[in-house]
Amino acid sequence: MSSINQTHIHYQQKMTINRLGLWLFFASDAFMFGGLLISRFYLLGNKNLGLDQTLGLIVTSILLISSFFMNRAEVMVSQGNKRGFITSLVITIVLGVTFLIGVVGLEWGIAHFGPGDGAEGAVFYMMTGMHAFHVLTGIIFLLLVLRNGLNDKYTPESHYAVEASANYWHFIDVVWIIYYPALYLMGTL
Amino acid sequence: MMKFPALKRGVVVFIILAVLTAIEFYLGLNEVPSILLWAVALIKMLLVLQFFMHIGRVINPEKGGHE
Repeated sequence: MSSINQTHIHYQQKMTINRLGLWLFFASDAFMFGGLLISRFYLLGNKNLGLDQTLGLIVTSILLISSFFMNRAEVMVSQGNKRGFITSLVITIVLGVTFLIGVVGLEWGIAHFGPGDGAEGAVFYMMTGMHAFHVLTGIIFLLLVLRNGLNDKYTPESHYAVEASANYWHFIDVVWIIYYPALYLMGTL
Repeated sequence: MMKFPALKRGVVVFIILAVLTAIEFYLGLNEVPSILLWAVALIKMLLVLQFFMHIGRVINPEKGGHE
């Protein structure tokens, strides 16, 4: 077996282990988010929090669009399109920051309860706060990937950091896919 | 697995997710039973896991990528 083949097999094995480790992290993080989700129904039952529906739909759409561009960035880097990769990544980061402003800057400001106002406040601010913290760390992760991308660190054959950051970003989206109806849409006023 | 090029597949999945979000919003405003909202959210989650996160790659590295 040639050394090139051996290197390729070694790289594939390393990728398999890396991916497994990343998904184990997602699983452990999902338990934390799941616990918060259960606390929402345990403490508030079928009560609707009465949040701003328009703002909820807007921030949800922003995160959804950011996930699309993150997927596009990953596809672009795997096809060797650096310009497309960088552009899509920057759009994702901008949308992520916009989402943060929407939730932490606007929604927290207009919510009709504060963090200390009983179960409603505790549930709402813990769920959105923990999610926003993950969005913030995701943005930092993406900024690091952007810096490396600008320095030509990724190739179509070797770009695991892009794949990992994309998966982390999509994981954040998956959490919001569940949190959005639980916080904004479910229950009666 | 959908037989689309990776970029086109991303667009199709995004459109489906957008439509489902609109349906979800409509259902939420009309205070339908929560089970319907859970169903829509579950479909959206599975779409992202399968087509954006490529969950199949964890088990089989040769599958589920951007080929």
